[in-house]
Amino acid sequence: MREADAGWAASLHRMWTSVVRITDRDELARLILPPLQALPGVVAVWGLRHAPGDGVLEYRWTGVPLEGDRRDLARAAAAGLIPPGLPELGFAGIVRDRFDLAGEPAGTILVAVDDTADVPMIRTCLGQVIEVTREAIRRLALRRAELAQQTRDALLAEASLQMDAVLDTTQTIRRIPRMAVPAIAEGCLVYVAEDGRPVLRGSVHVDMRRLAALLGDPAVTAHLEHLVSRALQGAAPPADTALLATRAADLQPLLARGQVVGAMVFLFDRDDAAIPPAGFLRDLAARAALAIDNGSRYERRRRDVLTMQQHLLPTRLPEIEGLSAAAAYLVGDRVIEVGGDFYDVVTAADGTTAALIGDVCGRGVEAAALTGMARHTLAALLQEGVTPARAMTGLNARLRLDGSWRFVTAGVASLRPAAGGVAVDWVSAGHPAPVVLRQKGDPVRGDGGGAPLGVLAVPRIAASRLFLETGDTLIIFTDGLTESRGPDGVMFEDDALGRTIDRLRDRPIGELVHELAAASASFGGAHTDDIAVLAIRAGLANEVNGDE
Amino acid sequence: MNDLIFVVEDTDEDVEAIERAISRSHPHLHPEFFRSGTEVLARLAEPGGRRPWLMLLDLNMPGEDGLEVIRRLRGDSGLDDLTIVVFSSSEDEAETDACHAAGADSYIFKPLNFALFQSVLSRTLDYWRGRPRSGNVARTVVPPPGESSAHT
Repeated sequence: MREADAGWAASLHRMWTSVVRITDRDELARLILPPLQALPGVVAVWGLRHAPGDGVLEYRWTGVPLEGDRRDLARAAAAGLIPPGLPELGFAGIVRDRFDLAGEPAGTILVAVDDTADVPMIRTCLGQVIEVTREAIRRLALRRAELAQQTRDALLAEASLQMDAVLDTTQTIRRIPRMAVPAIAEGCLVYVAEDGRPVLRGSVHVDMRRLAALLGDPAVTAHLEHLVSRALQGAAPPADTALLATRAADLQPLLARGQVVGAMVFLFDRDDAAIPPAGFLRDLAARAALAIDNGSRYERRRRDVLTMQQHLLPTRLPEIEGLSAAAAYLVGDRVIEVGGDFYDVVTAADGTTAALIGDVCGRGVEAAALTGMARHTLAALLQEGVTPARAMTGLNARLRLDGSWRFVTAGVASLRPAAGGVAVDWVSAGHPAPVVLRQKGDPVRGDGGGAPLGVLAVPRIAASRLFLETGDTLIIFTDGLTESRGPDGVMFEDDALGRTIDRLRDRPIGELVHELAAASASFGGAHTDDIAVLAIRAGLANEVNGDE
Repeated sequence: MNDLIFVVEDTDEDVEAIERAISRSHPHLHPEFFRSGTEVLARLAEPGGRRPWLMLLDLNMPGEDGLEVIRRLRGDSGLDDLTIVVFSSSEDEAETDACHAAGADSYIFKPLNFALFQSVLSRTLDYWRGRPRSGNVARTVVPPPGESSAHT
């Protein structure tokens, strides 16, 4: 074997073994052109990557640079012509070979030789390099397809994870285009139908200035709105890619539960081969649509709950001589059913003021109906001058008559002016004990006791006495306040209730109830239940008399 | 073509992931890593030091935060050609707007999954590789597939 043959065999072997490692066609050019250039008599090696039609996507070379007018010469040579001007470049001839692979840009390699070259040998070597190239490109395409599939799978998984994690529609809409760009598109816009009209609610582009320029152009926004409006009507007009200054665009309707809730517009600069299949974009849009629809339904439901809850509570508390009162009600963070907490303040004909609070177990329509009934029964009886214990007995009888399995915890504080302050009779039917916030001194916890109403034929009601000096505040509440739990499982009651009340001691009573409820909700995070807080302060009438 | 990029990131896991992703998708690029804004600004202030064509920037870092770094970079006319890509896991829209206003070119979401992470990073680099930043002029026209002059 001649020395040159052995050298070429080694080069060819190196090329074949390197094929598995290359990651793009630039690397391929660096792999295959130099060995050809090293063959005796070779003056230049030129590589052309063809575009569909007559164009050329890329030029690569070794030896004589393939720049300027030489590119016309190279294109002519690649087409099989013998262009003039070869001798000026020191070319005695050009050996040409080409490869074509379905779905991939074709390529031509031109090997320019001088008079000394062994042309048949070079033709053989070039043929072998073409085989290496064909295999390398086939592997590159496979690897690219695998990577693209991995990316799409990961995107769908991450999109589902991210979208399922929130019920806030605004947040969901913001997440969708952020995940899509630039993994699967250079730009992504999310339109949502509001009153039948498309409203842009999310937009991301890999190039922030390009996005700003696009959305700042009235012609562009009008075109996009037109496209989406048509999509909302079930049509699919073509996008004006020139106007959108993008190579390609795709519009996917956001279809959830048989309704078009909006549309996603994808903007692509990348090659067609890198644009995800329509089925994938449809799948992503379907998941986004479902997440948006879930969020919208949740928000609607929550609005309804808040409205209904307000109707179950007094719109305002009465003004009472010598006392100030305030209440706060917080609906749990993720609650989408009406809860059973209630409170009220009434004054009987004999001047006794009754502050009542209660909690019907469970949530939903039935609990709401019982909540309204319990509050009105207690309030009506107390206003008529019935004692708290008898009022509770009346409610107990009514609950048992209705045959509901639900029970009710309740507490009533009867407040009467007394020398130096206000005397408080507290009766409890399984309700959390109240707190007295002393104007001078530490907060004091009262007694709970008794058993929930609706359970026993003869209710068990606990009674205790408290006294409010001028400036002291009686705070009664439902268990949502005390039992909210921090991440470590510790309850607000055990960790922060006393500290929080003490911190709020100098606040106006309206602020006190709201901040106390908010502190507990914040302590419990997303899993907080409804919280009702009612506070009565002695001797500071007309200070603040807020409720919600 | 300049193959130097600066990565400003203080989290070990993210540094490792970025290094791995770039070495796979763009083995010819040379990332240089910095742990803080202060470090990278000091490096850029060195006279005669090589300048990167792109900077990948985390926003939340100890000391000088990412937003301040963007403002400082954009205040330096010698760095007009530098592409600034913010790579963040924050969802704060105000932060995105602030980065845009300060002169960032991209604000890219940092995914959890590595395949996605690699793809996002690779696409971002490809985009800006094929569309070099040109001063502060907004470019809204997509150029035709470009010619390459890579020379072996």
